[in-house]
Amino acid sequence: MVQSKKGTADFDLKEAISPNRLVGLWRLMRGYQLDYTFATLMQGLSAASKTATYLLLSYFVDNYFLASTGTYPVWAIAASFVAFAGLQGYFTFLSGKHAAKTAEGTVERLRNYLFDHLQHLPFSYHAVTDTGELIQRCTSDVDALRRFYNDQAIGIGRIALLFVVNFIALLRINTRLALVSVIAVPIVVITSIYFFKKVSKAYEAYQEQDAILSTTLQENLSGVRVVKAFARQTHEIEKFEHTNWEKFKRGKQLLTIHSLFWPISDTICGFQMLAGFLIGAMMAIRGEITVGNYLAYAGLVVWIIYPLRGLGRLIVEMSNALVSYDRVFKIIKEVREPLDEGNYRPAEGLHGEIVFKHVNFEYSQHEPVLHDINFKIDAGKVVALLGSTGSGKTTLVNLLPRFYDYTSGEVLLDGFDLKCYSRRYLRSQIGIVEQEPFLFSRSIRENITYGVGRNVPLEEVEQAAKMAAVHDVILSFPEGYRTLVGERGVTLSGGQKQRVAIARTLLKNPRILILDDSTSSVDTETEAQIRSAMQSLMHDRTTFIIAHRIQSIMNADLILVMEDGHIIQHGTHTSLLREDGVYRQIYDIQTRIDTELEEELSSAS
Amino acid sequence: MPADFYEEEDFQGQFKGNVFKRILDLMRPHWRWVVGFLICVIIVSILDAYFTYLSKQIVDEGIVGKDINALQNILVKYGILIVVQAASVFGFVYMVGVLGERVRYDLRQTLFNHLQRLSLSYYSRTPVGWIMSRVTNDTERVAELVTWGVLDSTWGVINILTSVIFMLVIDWRLALIVIAILPVLFYVAVLFRQRILEQFRKVRKVNSKITASYNENISGVRVVKALGREDENLREFGEQTSAMRKAGYRAAWLSALFLPSVQIISAVGLGGIIWYSGATVGSGTFSIGSLQAFITYMTSMLWPIQDIARVFAEMQRALASAERIFSLVDTTPEIQDKPGAIDPGTIRGEIQFEHMYFWYEDELPVIKDLNLTIQRGETVALVGSTGGGKTTIVNLLCRFYEPKRGRILIGGHDYTDLSLQAIQSRIGVVLQTPHLFSGTIRENIAYGRLKASMEDIEAAAKLVGADRFIQHFEHAYDEQVGEGGVLLSVGQKQLISLARAVLSKPEIFIMDEATSSVDTLTEAMIQQGMEAIMQDRTSIIIAHRLSTIKSAHRILVIENGQIAEMGNHAELLKLKGKYYNLYTRQFRFEREDAYNIFKEDSQTNFSAE
Repeated sequence: MVQSKKGTADFDLKEAISPNRLVGLWRLMRGYQLDYTFATLMQGLSAASKTATYLLLSYFVDNYFLASTGTYPVWAIAASFVAFAGLQGYFTFLSGKHAAKTAEGTVERLRNYLFDHLQHLPFSYHAVTDTGELIQRCTSDVDALRRFYNDQAIGIGRIALLFVVNFIALLRINTRLALVSVIAVPIVVITSIYFFKKVSKAYEAYQEQDAILSTTLQENLSGVRVVKAFARQTHEIEKFEHTNWEKFKRGKQLLTIHSLFWPISDTICGFQMLAGFLIGAMMAIRGEITVGNYLAYAGLVVWIIYPLRGLGRLIVEMSNALVSYDRVFKIIKEVREPLDEGNYRPAEGLHGEIVFKHVNFEYSQHEPVLHDINFKIDAGKVVALLGSTGSGKTTLVNLLPRFYDYTSGEVLLDGFDLKCYSRRYLRSQIGIVEQEPFLFSRSIRENITYGVGRNVPLEEVEQAAKMAAVHDVILSFPEGYRTLVGERGVTLSGGQKQRVAIARTLLKNPRILILDDSTSSVDTETEAQIRSAMQSLMHDRTTFIIAHRIQSIMNADLILVMEDGHIIQHGTHTSLLREDGVYRQIYDIQTRIDTELEEELSSAS
Repeated sequence: MPADFYEEEDFQGQFKGNVFKRILDLMRPHWRWVVGFLICVIIVSILDAYFTYLSKQIVDEGIVGKDINALQNILVKYGILIVVQAASVFGFVYMVGVLGERVRYDLRQTLFNHLQRLSLSYYSRTPVGWIMSRVTNDTERVAELVTWGVLDSTWGVINILTSVIFMLVIDWRLALIVIAILPVLFYVAVLFRQRILEQFRKVRKVNSKITASYNENISGVRVVKALGREDENLREFGEQTSAMRKAGYRAAWLSALFLPSVQIISAVGLGGIIWYSGATVGSGTFSIGSLQAFITYMTSMLWPIQDIARVFAEMQRALASAERIFSLVDTTPEIQDKPGAIDPGTIRGEIQFEHMYFWYEDELPVIKDLNLTIQRGETVALVGSTGGGKTTIVNLLCRFYEPKRGRILIGGHDYTDLSLQAIQSRIGVVLQTPHLFSGTIRENIAYGRLKASMEDIEAAAKLVGADRFIQHFEHAYDEQVGEGGVLLSVGQKQLISLARAVLSKPEIFIMDEATSSVDTLTEAMIQQGMEAIMQDRTSIIIAHRLSTIKSAHRILVIENGQIAEMGNHAELLKLKGKYYNLYTRQFRFEREDAYNIFKEDSQTNFSAE
């Protein structure tokens, strides 16, 4: 388990769920709530220090310039100026620091939680969820939440506090003057929100066109052979120019909104300020306020009005962050598959005897996928599943590691119901080799030791690779076992991937094996290699082979022919040949092909 | 080029002086806009400084002088100038913004146009992602520098200059104190900016790793579960997010420290001003308004300094981007028309390969001394195992590459004497993995002949047997195929690319047959389509299916870059050699497939069915 800061590793983010999104965001900060409150408080103190500077200026002018009533030496006043500025800077820094700590810490925890959550969500979730969409939520939406903590919430707090503190100071100078100075405030705020809503829309349109442009470019680059083969360069240029120009136009629209907003808000703020100057100056002339007061006023009023222009941006962005909150928490609300539920663990290890008794399974109600499956396989024996796609053979083997739990009936492993074993234990005892195995973009060595859960010496890795008949292939790569797999390294063929997966499974040393043997078009050489590799893997292990050709399963101890979720035939190769049925039909085809080939060859020559 | 070249985000080292010149050249066609926004921004920044001076006059002449008339005059002037400034703000935001978009547009188009000219060899050694990044990100950075970068620094410099002039006018001795502090402020600001940028770069790097981890763990979730790797994965991921937190925190921490630091430095200057004004109070040389003006100048000067520092810090990245853009534009296409290349009007005729050798960049020979004559109208099938050189021969014939030694003659001409257009516009190619463009089916077929009428398009589709499935779509020929044709099956894509080739009425037809199996009906249609197109056309087919192989006039078995066996079907079978083995294996395979009573796809996996 990752021990993140503040001992919050045990914080289940489900507890942060709330119908009120702001409350949810507050709960999500658990452990940092004090920091964040502190950060906000510091914004207030920083604003107060700034205000104090202007009040000091007022005192200085009134008591040193206009009269000589000042009781402090001038250097002390000057030093106080520096000190107030220093304090203001210090408070701002503290605020930024604690806000960043909150944002980064909260988001780190959120990222880890999502990552872990996703790998614990059941298959039924992943089967229906789009990968790109999930990644989008885990990255862009999480970042939107980070910006909410780091910029938006604290930014809105800053503007509000600046306003409040300075307004109070203005009220103390002169109530009437203070009230006159905020007449334009609602106008500024409303204009700002109005414009930034438009900006947000125009920006979306701009981004949309950007995506189209990228697609056009990408299709052109990846289809370069087609473009050249048809000599369509001019056509492509015209096509790109079209999307490119559209992006230019949308960019221009976005800019037009910006170029209108800033001067308009400048003018509103400017005239509000001028009105304040006029009234303030008249008051000063009439002696209703001191000259110093006027100076303080002129300084403070700027900090009341101008920051409000940014409020619209923050509010619009914040509403986007709230949408992101919903999208992220939709994932968090999903229920995890408990890995450690079920506590039976055989003392002397698994044997691997498996019995299916009247097993039924359905993914969703009233859509049965497996009907009344019955069979028994002794430890160390081989059972082959033959049938078309959708006949239920894959679903059947998916029940063994409890990727799905059967709906009724029972599956006994060494005499105990499968549900007595924890998923974690079962999966550690079952090895799966798929037809197109998924490899990770790490080194080949890391791929082979992936999931072993201990440090494996190189000799052992090589031993496994040799048994899987992939050692020589690996050595032919520039960096041997350290060669990276995938985009940034070598691309492995389907057969090579499969053998790496076999080596991986050999190291894992499971009691039960699931092999997908529906080899399609690998050339003869590799096919033989894969077959021998699989043979060494199957030795002394209870094995389930998924196949659609007879050659690979003739030696199986039990063959199950499946159709529409039923077992329609079962027995050994010899017993099935004696029956009239699908199995014999398939077998007969082989003989027929041989005869046809003979005929074909003789007719040609 | 070094292996990690394509991962490197930035060039290190010196920039050549002509990078600057070339960047400036980008602006030349739009000089009116540049002059326009510069004038606007100069007005804005002078007014910024002048407003402070007006505020001083309000205090000194209006309030202290108790002159209401003067006050009104100043305020009216102020009000008019606010409107003037607002107009200028509108002018510069609009002009610099539109100019920026225009420069982006120009750069992208220049890059794209040049990319169309580059040879296939460039594409095979350059990752698509790298090229995309040049066209999208680098253009962005350069445009940003030449527009907002120029604007912000102009505004900053002019603002500081006018402020300094006004300060000198008000009190030159005090102004000197401020001027002395300026370089310190600037130095500190640049230092901070560079550090902050560095941290952000780190954040971006870790961020892309995190995205990759999510991607891998989600797409490989079955393996993760089956191998029980959850805890270990979370531990590894935790290292990344922790690195992310640290880098993100550090970037935020530095940003939070940045402003206060420059503020404190300037506060020292403020303290000096207060002290000076307090000391000279009796002499009357320094008015209250002057005090206010100095304080305002001192505090508001932080903004231009910040802006200049930002532009300065980001400039290096923008220059690196510019250099990469120029290096791409400077790449010369390896294959281009010779001077005086001709278009003979037709390329029907014999195709001859004469002692042809070829190797890619690793210099391992791929084709060795190939000699071959293909008659006009002949159909030749190339067979043999993967990596034998079949695709390379086809690439050479299409002149995607040129022979390293020896030559290729088409209709008696050395084909390097012909123009690329003359060859490539008369060859019809169907690739193994058909590539379609987003858009409608009609647009994709019309790619073969852009000006084709609807009748021609439908005729082509009918000829290859694609018409039937197309009519089944709701919008028939106007059905969208999706990005890269994702909405269609592989077989359908093949049929469309066949129709596209038919429509182009090629003089030479080249096809790289797909290995992936399609259903029997589609296969029959593809067969029919191929026969239609191969009719009295020189055709070269990289063949996998028996029916294609057998229908060829001549079969070549290509092994290790050479012709291992050559002849017709019956002749080659008699040899009982490579072709014989290949044939019997493929025969069994196809038969098994045809008789397969399960009729299943070749793929099964462990996800839900």
